[in-house]
Amino acid sequence: MFSHTEILIANLFRNTAFRNKAVFLLTVFIGLLLIYAAFSGWINFQKQNEIRAKYQEQARKDWLSNPDKHPHRMAHFGHFAFRPKAPLSVFDFGMESFLGNTIFLEAHKQNTVNFSEAGFSTGMLRFGEISIAMVLQVLLPLLIFFLGFSSIANERENGTLKILLSQGVSWKELIVGKSLGIISVVMTLFIPIIVATILLWALLQNMNISIDESIRLLLIILVYFVYLVIFCVIAVLVSAISKSSKTALTSLIGLWLMLTIVLPRGSQALGAYIYTAPSKAQFNADIENDVLKEGDSHNPNDPHYKSLKDSLLTVYKVDSVQKLPFNYSGFVMAEGEKISANIYNHHLEELLKIYDKQNSFSKGMAFLNPFMAIKNLSMALASTDFASYINFQEQAEQYRYEMAQKMNELQIKFISNKKPAAGEKPHTIDKKHWEEMHEFVYKEAEVSTVFSHEIISIFAFIFWIGLLLFCIRILSKTLKAI
Amino acid sequence: MIVLAFKNFIRSNSVKIGLSFLLIAGIVSLFVGKQFIEKQEQNITETAAYQKEYIARNVHHHQDEIGLLLYYLKFSFVNETLPINGLSIGQRDVNSSIQSLTIRGLEAQKYDADLNNPTNLLLGNIDFSFVLIFLFPLIIIAFTYNIISEEKESGTWRIVAIQSKNLFLHVLQLFFIRFIGVISVLFFILLLSVFFLKIPLESIFFSFVGISLLYILCWFGICFWVASLQKSSNANAVILLSIWIVLIIILPASLNNYLVNKYPVPEALSTTLKQRKGYHEKWDTDKTQTMNRFYAHYPQFKQFPLPDKEFSWLWYYAMQQIGDDEAAIQATAFKEKLNQRNRASNNIAQFIPTIHTQMQLNEIAQAGLSNHLQFLEETGKFHEKMRLYFYPKIFGEAPVNSENWNKFSIETFKNPQESGGLQSYLSLVVFILLFGVLGWVNFKKSIYQV
Repeated sequence: MFSHTEILIANLFRNTAFRNKAVFLLTVFIGLLLIYAAFSGWINFQKQNEIRAKYQEQARKDWLSNPDKHPHRMAHFGHFAFRPKAPLSVFDFGMESFLGNTIFLEAHKQNTVNFSEAGFSTGMLRFGEISIAMVLQVLLPLLIFFLGFSSIANERENGTLKILLSQGVSWKELIVGKSLGIISVVMTLFIPIIVATILLWALLQNMNISIDESIRLLLIILVYFVYLVIFCVIAVLVSAISKSSKTALTSLIGLWLMLTIVLPRGSQALGAYIYTAPSKAQFNADIENDVLKEGDSHNPNDPHYKSLKDSLLTVYKVDSVQKLPFNYSGFVMAEGEKISANIYNHHLEELLKIYDKQNSFSKGMAFLNPFMAIKNLSMALASTDFASYINFQEQAEQYRYEMAQKMNELQIKFISNKKPAAGEKPHTIDKKHWEEMHEFVYKEAEVSTVFSHEIISIFAFIFWIGLLLFCIRILSKTLKAI
Repeated sequence: MIVLAFKNFIRSNSVKIGLSFLLIAGIVSLFVGKQFIEKQEQNITETAAYQKEYIARNVHHHQDEIGLLLYYLKFSFVNETLPINGLSIGQRDVNSSIQSLTIRGLEAQKYDADLNNPTNLLLGNIDFSFVLIFLFPLIIIAFTYNIISEEKESGTWRIVAIQSKNLFLHVLQLFFIRFIGVISVLFFILLLSVFFLKIPLESIFFSFVGISLLYILCWFGICFWVASLQKSSNANAVILLSIWIVLIIILPASLNNYLVNKYPVPEALSTTLKQRKGYHEKWDTDKTQTMNRFYAHYPQFKQFPLPDKEFSWLWYYAMQQIGDDEAAIQATAFKEKLNQRNRASNNIAQFIPTIHTQMQLNEIAQAGLSNHLQFLEETGKFHEKMRLYFYPKIFGEAPVNSENWNKFSIETFKNPQESGGLQSYLSLVVFILLFGVLGWVNFKKSIYQV
């Protein structure tokens, strides 16, 4: 696959790199950071999931321990859904800290997902978090640039470049060889990281590893490998076109800052600036107005509910709702729940479309910036991205809807149509029914959904591979030794 | 001599590019800040309009039961946004500046999240504090990393050393020239912000300027010290960039991980769970017990006895109240945990100029955790005020029309403005002195080395 010369150059590069004290220190430092990142990711995963599982169980126990009640009281008693952290969140924290984890599920109302880490933060969070992914995405490229800035520029400064080329080494061999050299140095960090991640990830799941999770992990290893290789090649190419190693270093540092600090914020800020999302007040008011337009169940003269009532009376051939063979107000509430849930989902969809537009710049930026490609793809594979969160929110809403309708159904079936007279006990049903509502269990999306959400990032990677191959080809022909 | 050196500095292409980059980023940040402030204002206007319309509609629907009406009515409470917030958005984009509350259980409403695109939060704002804390140091590094080393590498340092009467003073002049260049851009952006964001020229603005200035001096101190180590240009660049990465990325991020793990907040979850259970189980427990607890909390309402009905609004609001009361222990623990976090990060920040600066700027702009906790506290008081106002009317079954509903417009919490005092400058001053003295000592020893 690689020529003898290329491997020779690579070996030579690796041996010199390891003798460099600064490289050694940096590698050790990054290694220590990675250990800390893995450790704190692990602690966080354990603590948070323990807390969330504990309260999920508590909430279910509270639900089941209710005595005989009117089912509508139960619909308001409601339930909680706590978002569990995905196993791969140990590797990439992604957006986790900015997403809520607790949602109260009750009838008539779609509550917000509360208690994000960011809400508890002092502002320090805005500097970022240390996760294994962050070290790989941000710090390793810089290490690569430090390793590679002088790879060819130095040979040019020393005059050894001319000798090499006159001895029959081709430019292509030189570029490929040097890149391989850097890659082999970087692999001494990357491979232990991957091994550690796999172990950690398997341990956290008590070795109960699903195929889906394994595919995610394999893909993560693959895309990070490609990502790091891209940076190795960039380093060598910049070094090859620079007159001196100093110019190569400053250009690479400038490039790194643009790719990891300036462009990501800049592109997202642009998206957020151009497409404004509605405020919470506006969002809620819009939903409410639409619900009122469709039918206001609190208004006795509302046309929608009036025609519903009239048609029921006609079908059952009775003259008042009290004579209907089932609980009428339960029926009305079921209808109301259906209408409001549909309207809410529709508005949420619209809102998410605006968010998508806001994010489109930073997503598209992946073609200019491999950092954005890996950031988005890695989060998606680790299930710590926005799509995974939306998946949770949708499942929670689905559960909420089922719960509300289940309670309405119980009311329709078992609650008398006559209001209890003064002094009479309120209508209740047996508490055995509470168990009929199954517990909320969050199901992680399949890995295939990642391909549809992150198709841009995947194409960006393919584009980058093509671009760099093209550059190597062109530069091999045009580069000069002096 | 210094004038010539300044002209020489300012004419260089890289300097022009560097300063324009800062200027452009600064101006962009002002636009971002302005948009944020305008959005905050628009949210308040929309909320006010919505509240008015919502109250009117519900008053129209629920004419005969004030207890039922107040089940629905929401009253909004706003955390005032200062114009200077446009310079440091801080946590204001995460935490909602508006609370809309019914007089029902507080703990079930107080922590409701705002509507946000988390990608915006994740990638962060380009506000002025970002430009100051992240980008200014980079340009300072770019301007100073080769001040002496470049001359040494090109062999001109010998000439300078012979010709200059006081070589240390010459070095200081070189730094001073660059300082003037950077500081002019800083002042220009801040001056623009005064007009653009309509920031009043009060003491808090001057503290903001003071902190910014000290932060920049701090970086000049670091660069001065690194220059005094007399290494090559390449080595200086790598050392300075590493310091930048450690101070801006690695240390804050590691500390954040540490704080998150050290102070997890399960109290948040237990508070909500407890509140729900506390309130809901009262539907099935002895009414007199509930009422006795309610009267114990509010002896002034003993004059309203429980009506002999299956359901009464007095009982209903008493149940809601007990829900809050029962969650009080958890809620206090929750608050205390957040205060602990706040204190811990403030203490740590003293030792890290980047975090310290960010937190001080947030503090001045009322965009930090302290402000948010204060707002939550005041939200509780506002809620209590509304409760106490309406309780007697509900319990006395006052007619809905006896109330002038138009008067319930949104209310605003104005956090008293404080500049952090000398304490907030101290940590940065110590760093400036430290690096200044270290650099000075090194230069004394090694300035004539070639």
